Amino acid sequence: MENIVINKMAMQRALTRITYEIIEKNKGVNNLVIIGIKTRGVFLAKRIANRLEKLENVKIPVASIDVTNYRDDIEHDKQSPKKVSVTNDNISVEKKNVILVDDVLYTGRTVRAALSAILELGRPRTIHLAVLVDRGHRELPIRADFVGKNIPSSQSEKIRVLMKEIDGKDLVEIIKN
Amino acid sequence: MATRYLILEDGTAYQGKAFGSRATTTGKIIVNSNMLGYQEIITNPIYHDQIIVFTQPSIGNIGINHKSYESISTSIKGVVTHEYSDISTNRLSKLSLDDFLKQRNIPGISGIDTRELAHHLRKHGAMKASLVDVADQHAFDQLNATVLTNQQVSQVATPKPYPNPGTGLNIIVIDFGLKHGILKQLSERHCDTIVLPWNVDSKNILDLDPDGIILSTGPGSPYDLPKSVLKMIQNVQKRVPLFAMGLGHELFALANHASLYQLKIDYHNSSHPIKEIITNHVLYASQNQEYSVDNQSIQNSNLIVTYRDLVNRTIQGLRHRDYPAFSVQFSPDGGPGPTDSVDLYDEFLENISSNMNKRSSRNDEF
Repeated sequence: MENIVINKMAMQRALTRITYEIIEKNKGVNNLVIIGIKTRGVFLAKRIANRLEKLENVKIPVASIDVTNYRDDIEHDKQSPKKVSVTNDNISVEKKNVILVDDVLYTGRTVRAALSAILELGRPRTIHLAVLVDRGHRELPIRADFVGKNIPSSQSEKIRVLMKEIDGKDLVEIIKN
Repeated sequence: MATRYLILEDGTAYQGKAFGSRATTTGKIIVNSNMLGYQEIITNPIYHDQIIVFTQPSIGNIGINHKSYESISTSIKGVVTHEYSDISTNRLSKLSLDDFLKQRNIPGISGIDTRELAHHLRKHGAMKASLVDVADQHAFDQLNATVLTNQQVSQVATPKPYPNPGTGLNIIVIDFGLKHGILKQLSERHCDTIVLPWNVDSKNILDLDPDGIILSTGPGSPYDLPKSVLKMIQNVQKRVPLFAMGLGHELFALANHASLYQLKIDYHNSSHPIKEIITNHVLYASQNQEYSVDNQSIQNSNLIVTYRDLVNRTIQGLRHRDYPAFSVQFSPDGGPGPTDSVDLYDEFLENISSNMNKRSSRNDEF
């Protein structure tokens, strides 16, 4: 059974609101760096950056981060060194206000991994977390600063985020097993 | 039908035929170029004490129905149209426009070249006008001697609080002369609404512990309202998510140190494309404005421009930099006109939910 919980319009509104909330919290957009967690977090990060640019007429640096090597729930080859893959090599997080973006916040382990990866790159002034969906069931003490929508879910359900850039349409659905 | 005259402050007279009541009235004359929705327009309190010229050539052809009231009382001073049609074909209509205007003692005049009249008014600016039986010197003298009120808000807004119950979020609507469309949109979203008079102070509002506050549309100039209204807005916007429209938007801008300028002629239409700056989306909305927010003044304020009219480049929407408070110059609920922007109400309610989550986790704020 599938159930659409965020449609195209609602996703746009959520991103718009998050954008304004970022401006509220950071008192502007100076010193901002947006980092998206692969895969859909990157598209969300780009959309937020694009919105901020339209409003404030400044370029916002965006990077994507692949945290696979930092996951503690995946068996790693002990020999291979941990490697942060940040697509934008020119990006510096030193003394910046970082907005970390992901699609779904669930156990918190992905975010934990991303935080480690970012902190290895430098010492940001702040890191804030923006997510499109917070579905609960945290296993680590992590919370989001900007939430598109809280969707209380059961662990047997699956939350699927579709984005135009990769899936051809914008929506979030709950799939019940 | 009897002969009647529409006379303007600048000495121009137009001859036409009477419909509606035969009262002699004086008011500010404005042009509305919407193609539909005359009942909503006639009953909208923002037209208080005004004579409405419809550029849509045929008025009356859908009568009056129970679903299209924007307020139950009417306070306009006249209807000017090219053709009055008393054959109404709307299945909901139980009353003709002519009977409706007679009941409410509002005069109408037809047979006027309303497009020529619209050009005349756009060229010469806003002015007073009268609907009279005889266009003689005496009528002009009377017109010129009439002083129009600048206390429109206190004349149309509710003097007493009243509820519009629902099961959802607690919303307070500050009534500056609201149209029913606002309450309908809140009802559709199950809001538990309380409407308060425009001159309520912030303490009384906050004591009711609202989840969100709406500043309604309304008639007249924001400069004619006392400064205490601005103080109220400054106090509540810090604490509760706020959504302002029309006159409310103008007051919201003033409360945040932006300034306004008066348009040469009031603008009542829904044909201008409006851009939502953050997404580049273009929408159409019912626009009724006499004032516009000054572009320069935004730089000294704490506001971000969110919507802009693509025809005359006027500011159509604002958002506060520090609080979840936003406003639009236009009317997002249509009534009449496009409802492209009706999900601004959803945006408002989502602001409230987001704010509630933040409030509950305020202790771990950094």
